Parts: sequence; structure tokens; C-alpha cells
Amino acid sequence: MTVKVLIVEDERKTSSYLCRGLSEQGWVTYSANTGSEGLYQAQTGVFDAIVLDVMLPGLDGFEVLRQLRRTHNTPVIMLTARDQVDDRLRGLRGGADDYLVKPFSFLELVARLEIILRRGRAQSPTEIRIGDLHIDLSGRRVTRRRRRLTLTAKEFALLEVLARRPSQIVSKTAIAEIVWDINFETNTNVVEVAIRRLRAKLELVGEDKLIHTVRGMGYMLEHRSDPDA
Amino acid sequence: MKHQRSMSTHLAVMFAIVTATASAAVGGLLYLKESTGLSHHAREVLEARFVIVERLIRFNEGGQEWVYFRQKLAEFTPTDGSLRFIIESEDPRFRVNEHFSTRLNSKGPQIGFGAAELDGTRFLTKASRVAKYGDRPEVRLIIVADQTPQERARRFIAAGILALSLFTIAVVTSLGWWIARRGMRTVDRLSEHARHLGGDDLARRLPTGELPIELSGLVLALNAALDRLQKSHQQLSDFNADVAHELRTPLTNMIGETEVALSRRRNEQDLCDTLQSNLEELERLRGMVNDMLLMARADAGEAGSFTRVSLAAECRRAVDFMEILFDEVGTTAVIRGDGKADVERALFGRALTNLLDNALRHGEPGGQVVVQIDAEDDAAAVTVINPGPAIPLDHLPKIFDRFFCGDPARASNGHSHGLGLAIVAAVARIHGGDVHAENGDGVVKVKMTVRIREQVQERVDASVFPPHALS
Repeated sequence: MTVKVLIVEDERKTSSYLCRGLSEQGWVTYSANTGSEGLYQAQTGVFDAIVLDVMLPGLDGFEVLRQLRRTHNTPVIMLTARDQVDDRLRGLRGGADDYLVKPFSFLELVARLEIILRRGRAQSPTEIRIGDLHIDLSGRRVTRRRRRLTLTAKEFALLEVLARRPSQIVSKTAIAEIVWDINFETNTNVVEVAIRRLRAKLELVGEDKLIHTVRGMGYMLEHRSDPDA
Repeated sequence: MKHQRSMSTHLAVMFAIVTATASAAVGGLLYLKESTGLSHHAREVLEARFVIVERLIRFNEGGQEWVYFRQKLAEFTPTDGSLRFIIESEDPRFRVNEHFSTRLNSKGPQIGFGAAELDGTRFLTKASRVAKYGDRPEVRLIIVADQTPQERARRFIAAGILALSLFTIAVVTSLGWWIARRGMRTVDRLSEHARHLGGDDLARRLPTGELPIELSGLVLALNAALDRLQKSHQQLSDFNADVAHELRTPLTNMIGETEVALSRRRNEQDLCDTLQSNLEELERLRGMVNDMLLMARADAGEAGSFTRVSLAAECRRAVDFMEILFDEVGTTAVIRGDGKADVERALFGRALTNLLDNALRHGEPGGQVVVQIDAEDDAAAVTVINPGPAIPLDHLPKIFDRFFCGDPARASNGHSHGLGLAIVAAVARIHGGDVHAENGDGVVKVKMTVRIREQVQERVDASVFPPHALS
């Protein structure tokens, strides 16, 4: 099933990289550069989600959302440049499903969009297999080949986060949020240390690397046939 | 333009109203008294004449005697018509001034004092019956006095009182205005001084010398406000300079690395490395921008969306998160006490992790960090106590300053940009609290207080905001 996302953003550079990035996620993107154009597209087309900038020429994001909500309940993520509670409340009261404050990370946007898109069809697997790694989610057992791994609760949670999104980059922010319920930036290296510890248990000498660091972005759980990658 | 009320004019008008009221009361009473006196006097005069004439009539037997009496009465009657005698009788021979009597529009009683009017002139009358004596039948004697002089006197008095009152009002009002203006002159002078405030010299203050008590409080308060403004202005410009300085490093790195990368043909891996390095710098910049926004929020005194939480639970969450780092250096952390407070959870959590991070950074490895929660009536405090070397006394008040770094060698280690405790302070301020640091017995205590609000504001965030559980 193709996922269609509408991006309403007047800043061309932002719009362009969002379209490109989201297309590479396998989603079909549409873009609008003004509020009225965005509203027209949102009302006439069928989208799974809309990314809506607040600061738009003509109709601003709040107004677009207000008018859209009269007839449509397409999920909307607002992008706001102003980190003000006021804006957040206006956005959420107006019917936005989520918001992101600029500057935001692209991975964060993808993560939020995934939550919205997955809503209503929450079917989670009970076991995950990546290469020779087997994770039994209901029994909370992890084995690699025949080796049983002894993980702490947090380590298991960390592995689960990565395993549920195989071959996807998961940001440190997202990891901190899911594993530790820390939904704010910290200037600590907790996630790095936790990954290092998990790696020590997961990847013994001679075993293939499964957790890959994507510098500046996050981590990815993937079995790569090419060991150098 | 909006009509602005002048205090001097307002006061002058108030004076005028007060004076007018007082003058009206005094003038009214004075007029009443004078008027009564005049009436009384007129009656006395009339009475004196009446008594004489009545006596002349009483034992008058008529006939020749009546003729004499008439002559006497004629002599007795002033020629200017200010006083007239009327005698009424059944017998026309005994009538006097009958002509006048019939024209007189008398409102007076048959006997005693009364008033009458003729051709617009008002008269005071007195009438009395004089019994029959000898040949003379019973007669009625009426004495009529023209009241024009009294009326004139009354009018004169009224005009006098009115003029005097108006004069008094005018004088009091202008004096009042003048006094008010004089009083306001201090204010004018202050305005003049205030006009020069906030220019180049931020140290300038309003003069406090020779001020009346009513104004000195205000001026002192204003000067105190100016002190605070100057301090925060100073902090702000220092902060701006620091921020610019801090931004310079990542910007230099990015520009340089990108230029180097673009100056030759590079393979994909090299370009990826450059982009990744840039991303790291950009993340640093993003972190700084967000921190600055947070500081700006605290500076603007902007309140957040608070929810009532258990502080121990919040501390537990932060400690759980940091546990792995504590574990790395063999340090343990315990939470003692509990209390409820209204906090913005993300900010509060941020402050807690910063406090724990600070304890970890500056504490002795292998020790025990204590997170002490104390709740009072209107404030709750979280104190992080870590064993470690005492903070030098001259550093103590500065550790919460932005970009303060006691040990320059630790200045940049990638994770912190010197805002850790400054953020704690900002968060405390957003929560109406404060921060405090002190050295204990071989330990360092860093305390953050938050004010406990009376009413919990139930904000929509909590309910409308989608849960962030990604899994």
C-alpha cells in the first residue's frame, strides 16, 4: 500500500529535502507552497498524512488546519518555528495530531509520521529474526545462533527498538524516548554507552556486526552480508 | 488621541467643587440670617408706628376729635408712600385711605401681620380691630409698609454673598491648581530625568534626594527595577557575545570541512564523512539554539504548561536514564524523600539530568550521589549531593552563569557547552523557583527549588498531545 504525504511548506529548500527524504522512505509525496494551495490539495486529494508549516504566506498553517478540519480528519503534523506553548496549544486545539519545532531532525519527523500512519493498525510481531539473531518479543528471550543472551530490561528494550525497525536509522532522541521515557534533549552520552554495552553482549569476537552506527544520526540494526560495510 | 487626565486640573476641579459646596452652605445660611433680621426689623418698625396710631384711635370719641386725628395721621404719614395707614369702618366717615385699601391685594389675615402686593410692590401689613368708643364705631386699623428697601437690601446681600462665593471659588481653585502644579513639579522633574534613562549610560538612575515620602517609595522601586534591568541587560550582552563565540567553532569546522571536501574530487566515503561531520556540528548548533530559546523563555518569565507530579517519580526516571553512566564509574544514586509539585515534565527532567550529570562530572567516582527531595508548603526542593572536592568559594555564585566554566580544560568535551547548570537555573525560574549551591562536609550540594502552585492548571497538552510511545 502506498502512503501519500502532502507537504505544505513555503521554504523551497525545506520542501525539497522533505519530499526527497520522504520519497526515499517509500512514500509518495506531494507539495504545496502556499496555504491556499495546500488547503485545496488537502481537500481534493486523498492523503495519509499532511506535514503543515505554520508560517505560510496568505493562509497560515492554523487557518489551513481550521478550514481543513471542517471536512477532513487527515492526520496533520505541524511545523512551527516558534517554540511557544501558545503555538502548540493552538495547533493541537485546532486539530493537529502532532507538532515539531524547527529546527527539527528529519528522523524525528519520520518517526512521528510513522506513529500517525501506524495508528489504528497496531499489529506487532511476536518474534523478529535478523540474520542469526532471534528475538522472542513475548517471551523476552534473545538468542544468537544457539547462544542465549542475558540482557537487562533496558538492554532488551533498546534491542527491541532497533529490531522493530530493521535497516532503519533510529535516532538517539527516539531511543531515549522509547527506552527511558526521556522526551527531551539531554547533553549526555547515555545512549552511546548503552549501545556499547549492548554490542558487547550481542556481538562477540568473530560474530557479524549487527548494530551499525550512522554517524551524526543514530543507529541501525541490520545484517549485512558484506562485513566491511 | 486619547484624552489624558491632568492630575493638577483634576485636583483643582475637586477644590472648586469643595469650595462651591462650602460657599453655598455658608452663603445660604448667611442670607437666611440677614433676611430674617431684615424682616424682624421691618416688623419692629411697623409695630412701633402701629402702637402709636392705635393708641390715638382707641380713646378717640369721633366728631371733632376724629378730624384732629386725621390731620395728625396725615402728618404722621410719610409723603414718599413708604408707610400708609388704612382705616376701615362701616361708617364711611371714619374710613381713611379707602381708595388704596380696595386696590390692595391683601393676603394678610384680618388681624396681625400679613403681606400684600400692589402694582408689583410688596408690602408688610399689620391689622387690628379697635373697639367702639363714644360716638366712634369699631374700626379696623391697617398699617401698610412698603418693603421695597428690604427687598433691595436682600438682593444686595444675595448678590454680595454670590460674588464673594464666586471669588472664593476662583481663588481657591487657582490656588489649588497652583499648589497641585507645585506638587507635581517633582514628578515633572522625575519625568525629565526619566527621559534620559536607558540611553548610552545604563547606570543612570532617578534622583532620590529631597523627595516627598509619597514619591520616594516609587522612585526607589523604579531604581531597583532599573538595577535588575541593567543586570539582565549586561548578562544578555555577555551571553550574546558568548553565544557568538560558541557558534564560531562549529561554523568554522563546517565551512572549512566543506571547502576542503569540495576543493578536490572526492570519493563517496569522503563526502559521507564530511556530511556526517557537518551533521554533528549542526546537531551541536541545534542544541545551542534550543537551549537559547529555553533561556529566553525563562528570561521572558513565560510560564509553561504544568502538571502535578511526584518528584520522586520524576527523579527516578532521570536516575534510571543516567544509571548506566553512574554504573560506568562505579557510582550509585539514591533518592530520598518525596513531594508533589507542578512542573513542566520535559523541562524539569532536563534540569534533573543536568544536575545528575554535573554530580557525575565533578563528583568522586565510586561514591554515592544522593537526590534529596524536600517539600514544603509552597515550594519543593531537589538537592543533588555528591561527594567530591569543594567548589572554590569565588566560583560558588557563578556556577549557574551561562558559559561559566570553573576549569577551562573541561571547557569543551563535546557533550556540554557550559550551559548545564545555567539551564537548571532557567528551568527553576520558569517554575518560580531558584537554584543554590553550597559545599558540605566533603560533599557538594546543588539545590533547585520549584514553587508549588495553588491551583494545578489542567492543560490540554497532557490529554490532546499524542503519546510518544513509538513502539
